[in-house]
Amino acid sequence: MIRAIVGVTARGVLGRRRSLVVVLFAALPVLVALVVRAGGSTGDAVSLSADLLDALVVRTVLPLVALVFGTAVLGSELDDGTAIHLLVKPVERWRIVLAKLVVAAVLTVGLAAAVTLVAGLVVGAGRGAERLVVASTVAVAVGGVVYAALFLALSLVTSRALIVGLGYVLVWEGALGGLLEGTQAFSVRQYTLAIARLLAGGDGQAINVTLDPSTAIVLSAIVLAGAFGLAVRRLATYEIHGTA
Amino acid sequence: MTPTGRAGPAVELRNASRWYGNVVAVNDISFALGPGVTGLLGPNGAGKSTLLHLVAGLLRPSAGAVLVGGRSTWRNPSVYRSIGLVPEREAVHPYLSGYEFVRYNARLQGLPDPAGAAARAIATVDLGEVQHRPIGTYSKGMRQRVKIAGALVHDPPVLLLDEPFNGMDPRQRLHMIELLRAMAVEGRTILFSSHILEEVERLAQEVLVIYAGRLAASGDFREIRRLMTDRPHTFTVRSSDDRRLAAALVAEGSVFGVELADGLLSVRSSDFAAFTRALPRIARDLGVTLFELHPADESLESVFAYLVRR
Repeated sequence: MIRAIVGVTARGVLGRRRSLVVVLFAALPVLVALVVRAGGSTGDAVSLSADLLDALVVRTVLPLVALVFGTAVLGSELDDGTAIHLLVKPVERWRIVLAKLVVAAVLTVGLAAAVTLVAGLVVGAGRGAERLVVASTVAVAVGGVVYAALFLALSLVTSRALIVGLGYVLVWEGALGGLLEGTQAFSVRQYTLAIARLLAGGDGQAINVTLDPSTAIVLSAIVLAGAFGLAVRRLATYEIHGTA
Repeated sequence: MTPTGRAGPAVELRNASRWYGNVVAVNDISFALGPGVTGLLGPNGAGKSTLLHLVAGLLRPSAGAVLVGGRSTWRNPSVYRSIGLVPEREAVHPYLSGYEFVRYNARLQGLPDPAGAAARAIATVDLGEVQHRPIGTYSKGMRQRVKIAGALVHDPPVLLLDEPFNGMDPRQRLHMIELLRAMAVEGRTILFSSHILEEVERLAQEVLVIYAGRLAASGDFREIRRLMTDRPHTFTVRSSDDRRLAAALVAEGSVFGVELADGLLSVRSSDFAAFTRALPRIARDLGVTLFELHPADESLESVFAYLVRR
């Protein structure tokens, strides 16, 4: 049953023009990494890789890819009305949310983690940055799952999930995250960076993050579980209104 | 309306209401449906779709209870094993073929043989020739039929259809009417809304008339019409001498209005039974031959319009 939902959802999401744009956008860090490598940069490869992955993947590609896929897997079906065929079936709501989350997470992680690995290796392979790149890839995968769950839940809370999600990424995590340290407790970006720092060992010093890694892991789990629970609850009480 | 005996009604509303803030969409409606076809009638905005969505468990009742097979439909996904819903909106996954869509529905129902069930449902709605084409290329009528196949695939005892004939050509409508009739004969409870009154007349044994969120009437629509004794009935009459007949009818107690215009004699009566008994007698006494007596306002539309005005 979950497989059926996953299959149809994946076809629907991947068939959207927006998804193609996201894939092209996600390739940007790889292009920048190729340019940097071709330019023959002579600086510290670990710091260079950390800066590039932070700026281009963790701050931009990861949240935006998760936003597009997280809000599309269920939100787009609710918007266009096709969700009704799923909602009038004897399927527990947690199974529906789980199936949708699997699609959003797999697409987000698949794309963002691949970009992290390829872009990181283009810049840092053979120059001592391999561990940081692999650590960042794993951290991006964890962050991708949390982001996907968060934005999936958001699509069940508001019909303007894309705008609200963009506000969260740009204003809360971006502008406020640098000014108010307290906001980092609810910042998936900070969780991702803190986990990457933990996994990278000594090379992790190159990653600029203040959140404690254990706190980041616990908070990631809490946000993931909370978002999943919220999505299930919202879907269980979701109402489809008649036209007359 | 129709009880289902020991098992109780298939669909039951008990003082069900649904409101949005100060706006009452469905107001204190109670009815019970058993096997057979019931038409849901009402003008736009009357609350038909809201009522169907309440029955389908897609809306929370603000008050009262909505039951299918004795179980509440709100927040109860297991009830969908007993319900097939054909929503009014055309939205169907455009990237799936008709067959894939119906098989998807079968898999979501947890059927043991989704492919076989999908093939049977596709054949039932006569979509075999186009079943492997993407739904995005379907006509409106084909989309309607593929939605019906998706709703039928698990052979539900209760079928809810919101404007099911939209977009169908006359042949398809006839086919669908025959299909729904046959399903009703098999013991299913079918509730459908429609604004095409002739089809309601042809298909539904029972009607629920809803107006401004209230149940204006329920039961056999012809019986409803008969029971409205306070409503004038209009007949058109053709005879060998309309003018003489009109003059005589004016003196008849059950007649309160006669009009002879454009060669057509219209008679308004306050008593259906008394008039239909008196007319042959008066005509015989006058030596006038009656060619045709036609109730001008027996259509469901006129019944509905009257109920709405009350």
